[in-house]
Amino acid sequence: MLLVQDSMSREVVTLTPETTAAEALKLCRERGIRHLPVMQDDRLVGMVSDRDLRSATPALGDPARAAALEEIVVSGVMSWEVATAHPEDPIEMAANAMRERGIGSLPVVENGRLVGIITSSDVMEALVRLVGAHEPGSRIEVSMPDRPGSLAEVAALFRDADVNVVSALAGPSTGDDRRVAVFRAATIDPAPVVRLLEEAGYPVLWPPGG
Amino acid sequence: MSGKSALVHDRGLEEYGFGDDHPFNPVRIRMTLELCEAAGLLDGYEFTATEPATEEDLLTVHSLNYVRRVQQASAGGGGLEDLAHYGIGTADNPAVPGVHEAGARVVGAVLGACRMVMSGGADHAMCVSGGLHHALRSKASGFCFYNDAGVAIARMKQEHPGIRVAYVDTDAHHGDGVQWMFYDDPEVLTVSMHESGRYLFPGTGGVEERGRGNGLGYSVNVPLEPFTDDASWLECFDEVVPEALRSFGPDIILSQNGCDGHRLDPLTHLAATTRIYEEIPRRVHGLAHELCGGRWIATGGGGYDIQRVVPRAWTALWAVVSHKELPEKVPEAWLERWSPKSPIALPRLMRDDPADYPAGPRAPEIKERNRRAVEEVRRSVLPLIQPR
Repeated sequence: MLLVQDSMSREVVTLTPETTAAEALKLCRERGIRHLPVMQDDRLVGMVSDRDLRSATPALGDPARAAALEEIVVSGVMSWEVATAHPEDPIEMAANAMRERGIGSLPVVENGRLVGIITSSDVMEALVRLVGAHEPGSRIEVSMPDRPGSLAEVAALFRDADVNVVSALAGPSTGDDRRVAVFRAATIDPAPVVRLLEEAGYPVLWPPGG
Repeated sequence: MSGKSALVHDRGLEEYGFGDDHPFNPVRIRMTLELCEAAGLLDGYEFTATEPATEEDLLTVHSLNYVRRVQQASAGGGGLEDLAHYGIGTADNPAVPGVHEAGARVVGAVLGACRMVMSGGADHAMCVSGGLHHALRSKASGFCFYNDAGVAIARMKQEHPGIRVAYVDTDAHHGDGVQWMFYDDPEVLTVSMHESGRYLFPGTGGVEERGRGNGLGYSVNVPLEPFTDDASWLECFDEVVPEALRSFGPDIILSQNGCDGHRLDPLTHLAATTRIYEEIPRRVHGLAHELCGGRWIATGGGGYDIQRVVPRAWTALWAVVSHKELPEKVPEAWLERWSPKSPIALPRLMRDDPADYPAGPRAPEIKERNRRAVEEVRRSVLPLIQPR
C-alpha cells in the first residue's frame, strides 16, 4: 500500500530530444499534462515541463514566437539530470524528492525502462485516500503523550465506543512531548468516543466541547 | 400563495429509531406533531396514512444483497459476519429488530407523499419522518438504512418519464446518499448546504463535487464553515438555490429539512437559530409556486436537540406548508405535558430570541469564507445547469 506503483500513471506521453517546442506544447495542451519525459533509443535522457518550454520561447503575441516555436527543440530546454522513482518506492519518498527539488513530477524507472510517471496531483490523490476522505466519517483530533502505548490506548477507546476507524494518522511530536493523532471514524456521532477520550485524559482538539 | 396541503403520518412511522440511548430518537416526531396540534395548526387536517415501500421500491436505489442483509438483521438473524461491510450493527446503525419494516414504512410515507402531490391530491405534503439522506446503495450510514428521497425520486422518474426533480437539502450534514444515487443524472438536481466536510460527517460535499457525465453540474454543494450563523446561511441560500432551481426548471421540489444546524445541536458545529427553519421553507415554498405549480414535498432529517429545537423547527415547517401563522408562544398544554419528561428546560417562545444568540467573534471571517465558497459555486457549477 502507498507505493509509487499504486498511484502512478502507466501511460506516459514521451518526447525525443529533437521534438520541437511547438509540437511539445501542443501535446501538453491536448493531453492536459505538464511533465514530459524525453527518450532516446528507449532510454530516459531528460525531462521537460510546459514551463521550461514557455520560458524558453517568446511571449504570446510576440511576432517572433511562431518561428521560435518551430526552431527550438526539446534538447535545448530540457533538464538532463533527472531524478527518478522506482515503482516500489514508498510514495512519501517520491513526495519528498519532488518537494526537495521543487519539481512537480518524477519519471518512474524499473530495470532501466520507463514504466510510468508520478506527479504531485497523484500524491494528493493518495493523501485523500490515505485519510479516508472518500468514505463517510467524522474527523477527530486527539492529543496524546509521546510514549509507547499511547496510540494503542487511544485506539482501544474507539473499540470501546463500537466505532470503526476508517483511517488513523499519528503526527510527529509537537515539541511538548506530545503527538497529535487524527482519526477518521465511521460515525455521525463522535460525542460518545470524545467523552471516553476526555475521561481517559486525552484532550480532544476537534470536535469542540465533546 | 396557497394550495392544498397534506400531512403524511401514522404511528407506525414512530417505530424507526434505535432506543433511548441513541441520538436518533423518534420521540422528536411525537413532540413535533403534538406541538403542531397544541398550536392549532392541525385544525381541519387529518394524518394521511400510506403503505410501506415494497421490496421493488427499495430495489430502485438499493442493491438486493443489501436489502437481504437488512431483512435478516431485522429478523434477528445472527451469525452474519459481513454485516459490518454493509454498515449494519454499528453504534450508528444498530441492527434493532424490525428495522427493515420501520425503514420501509418511512420510505413508503415519502413515496406516498410524492405520489399524492404528483397526482394533484395535494399541492404540498410534509412527512417529518423522512429525510434519511445518508443511506447508500449498499450500506447503512449515519442512522439511515433506506433512502426515502432516493426511492421516491427514482419511482417518480419511472412513473412520469422525463420529469425533472429538484432535491434541496439543508441538513447540517451533506446529503451524500441522495447525491450519489443521481450523480450522473441531469434530470435530478441535488442541492445540499451543510457544514463543511473537512471535519464533519460524512466528509464529502465540497464544491468540486458537481456531478459526473451527463449529470455534470446537477450536483450542487455549498459547504458552510463551522459556526455559520443565520445571516450568512441565508445569504448563501439566496445566492445559490433560487438561481440553481430557476436554471433547472423542476416539475417538483423535494426538500430535506434537517434542523441539526441549530446552535444547540449536539452533533454539529453550525450556529443557526429557529429563524432559518422558518425562512428556508418560505423560500422553497415560493420557488415551488414560481417554478412548478406549487408541487413541493418537505421531509424532516437530522435534528438531535430533540426537546428544544426539533419540535419548534418542524412546527414552523408545517406552518409554512399549511399556510398558517405560527403562534408567538409555545402552548402551555404542550409544556405541561412534555416538561416533566424533558431533562432540560423547554423554550417558552416558538422563535428563538436573537438576543440569546449574539454573533460570535469570528462571524465576519466565517461570512467571508462562506462567500468564497458561494462564488466558486456560482462560477463553476451553476452555469452548467441547462433548462430542458
